[in-house]
Amino acid sequence: MRVVIADDEVLLRDGLDRLLTEAGFDVVGKAGTAGELRREVELGRPDVAIVDIKMPPTHTDEGLVAAREIRASHPDVGVLVLSHYLESHYAMRLLEQHPGGVGYLLKERVSGVGVLADALDRVHEGECVVDPTIVSRLLRRARPASALGQLTGREREVLALMAEGRSNKGICERLFLGPKTVEGHVRNIFTKLGLGESADDHRRVLAVLSYLRSTPQQA
Amino acid sequence: MTRALRSAVLVAGLALGVFSLAVARGGAGYSFGGSSAFAGAAELAAGYALLAVGFTAWMRPRQARLGVILVAASFAWFLLEWSNPAAGSVVFTTGLVLYAAAPPLVAHAMLAYPDGRVGWWLGRLALALGYAGSVLVLGLLAAAVFDPASEGCAQCPRNLLLVAGGSSNAYGSVNRAGVYLGLAWSLLVILLAAGGLVRSTPARRRQAAPVVVAGCAYLGLVAAEFARSLHRGFLGTEGLDRRLWLGEAAALCVLSLAAVWAWVRARRTRSALARLVIELAESPPPGGLRDVLAGVLHDRSLVLAYPFADGSLADARCRAVELTGEITPIVRGGQQVALLSHRPGLLAEPALAEEVAAAARLALENERLQAEARFQLEELRASRFRIVQSGDAERRRLVRDLHDGAQQRLVTLSLALRLARARLGRDPELALAGRIDQAEAELRAALADLRELAQGIFPVILAEEGLSAAVEALAEAAPIPLEITTLPDERLGSSVEATAYFVVSEAVRRCAAGTLKVSAARRNGRLVVEVEGDSAPAEITDLQDRVGALDGSVAVVHGPDGRTILQAEIPCEW
Repeated sequence: MRVVIADDEVLLRDGLDRLLTEAGFDVVGKAGTAGELRREVELGRPDVAIVDIKMPPTHTDEGLVAAREIRASHPDVGVLVLSHYLESHYAMRLLEQHPGGVGYLLKERVSGVGVLADALDRVHEGECVVDPTIVSRLLRRARPASALGQLTGREREVLALMAEGRSNKGICERLFLGPKTVEGHVRNIFTKLGLGESADDHRRVLAVLSYLRSTPQQA
Repeated sequence: MTRALRSAVLVAGLALGVFSLAVARGGAGYSFGGSSAFAGAAELAAGYALLAVGFTAWMRPRQARLGVILVAASFAWFLLEWSNPAAGSVVFTTGLVLYAAAPPLVAHAMLAYPDGRVGWWLGRLALALGYAGSVLVLGLLAAAVFDPASEGCAQCPRNLLLVAGGSSNAYGSVNRAGVYLGLAWSLLVILLAAGGLVRSTPARRRQAAPVVVAGCAYLGLVAAEFARSLHRGFLGTEGLDRRLWLGEAAALCVLSLAAVWAWVRARRTRSALARLVIELAESPPPGGLRDVLAGVLHDRSLVLAYPFADGSLADARCRAVELTGEITPIVRGGQQVALLSHRPGLLAEPALAEEVAAAARLALENERLQAEARFQLEELRASRFRIVQSGDAERRRLVRDLHDGAQQRLVTLSLALRLARARLGRDPELALAGRIDQAEAELRAALADLRELAQGIFPVILAEEGLSAAVEALAEAAPIPLEITTLPDERLGSSVEATAYFVVSEAVRRCAAGTLKVSAARRNGRLVVEVEGDSAPAEITDLQDRVGALDGSVAVVHGPDGRTILQAEIPCEW
């Protein structure tokens, strides 16, 4: 898989390069700014671009802006945004722009090559990826008694994996379940939460995340 | 002493009028006032009018000089009759010297109106010419060479001033010179008075115009008398002379009335100012003094400003003021208490400015103190805001440093550890690998701690994405359920957002149990933040400090269902 890395921190960029190369990825370009990133994507034609959320000049959300641009101009290039921020708001911003072929991972994930490689594969395949820490934080958040409480333990696991952006197939693999079982869980979850089931995996992520982010009115 | 003198002069003036009329009636053919009862009445009316106005002015501290001149003019007006052949020789001789003294005195009073001073050298020169021509040339010089017998006045008494038998030729020349001079100076004074009126400020013009116009009419008639006398060489008492004299009497009556009118008007302004004191004593609203003064002084453009210690100017509502146009300081005890900018010339007379100061003294002082208090309050508020603002900026900088510095380094470090660990994977020394794994776990914990620390100092999401995103993020991590009802769609000023967030996050932090209902909405230029819970935070002083720095307010309101609402209102203009 061809990868471009954009991060203004040289040490981190080089470290990531070595790590990914050793894991079998083909790093075809490295960039320190959004401008360089555009050029590298144009020249290197990567499968996925790994983009730091903060880049010069303002160090705020250049990564998110660049992700939108790349997804619009090169629909075949996936974008994985690395961020220090745990807030689901940023992940939602990314997913709302282009629900497929994008991912939002916490930056410290770079040291776990397994998670990183998995995320890159999924983004490359057009799925979306939401950091598990963000999802588990949303699931754990304090909320008044709600429909979430009616889910079984297994259903909660399935819900979390859906929120991370995994397809039914991915969920089957993670939980060692058969496709019919997973489909049943998904149906139950949507019924219990009162959500309209969506055939589209991308829309499903958005629906689930929105549900988890919302603050349901007290009964 | 002065009072006794004034009284004596008044009595003398009254007696002089009666005596002069008697003299005139004694030789009616040679007199003005003696020719008829009407003329007599005119004589007394004009003279007594001048006397009364002069006497009144003399009693007024700022117009005493003018009063003396006017009293002198009234005396001179009567003395015209003394050069009557039917009078005794002392009276006759006095009349010969002073019979033409009234015009320069009236001219003097007119040019010196209203304060008795002639500021302009050209005016003083014209008056000097007038006195010289009338008293010296037509009076003393002519008297010195006038021999009544040789001039054909058989019934005339003796001229006590006659020197060396007199000379008819010289008498004719001196008289002619006096008449020429008289015409010249009287016209010059009319020109100067009219010019002065045109050049003066509107307020002064309004005040002086009636007197000057009447004075000019009088001098115009005098000039006509001089012009008429050019060909015969002396001033006479014939038919046209008498009519001109009657006109002069009328003009002097009008002049006196004009002076009285000016006093009446000043008195009206003063009584309006006095009313002002009473009105203002009843707790004036801020800015009220300006409106009242503008009404009393008939100047809608009037601006009242108070000078503060730092040199700035502000109105009663403590808004910065820039004064343009004509500015009059209101001084009390040597200190400027206020500045008035107004129509040019409105307060040209220092007396009026003083009267304004005197009438409005208490109110001015009161309003100035209020404005000063407001000003200091404003300063204090601005200072509090700056402190809050700089604190926020400092915290934002600190958080940015944490993210860009320490956090970034720790991530890079964990990556380096991972790479080292990967190399080690092919190495049999497993104990070291375990230790690296442990270090990595520590690093992850440190990163989580760091993130929490930064979040507590100043949430990046608040600065970058705004209040709504920050409150939603707060709800994700809060230990108790937050029910968010409304949040603003728009971005607000960074201090407003930071303050609103502070209120919500502190309410959450202090809430032990239950559910909090949070809303923030913009209403009438204010951001209204409400946090509804089972109980209100016990202590909200710090919230009040923080919100107060932005001129907002915090209160705890009790809802009908026993719930309490922490309510903060923050002006959005920051």
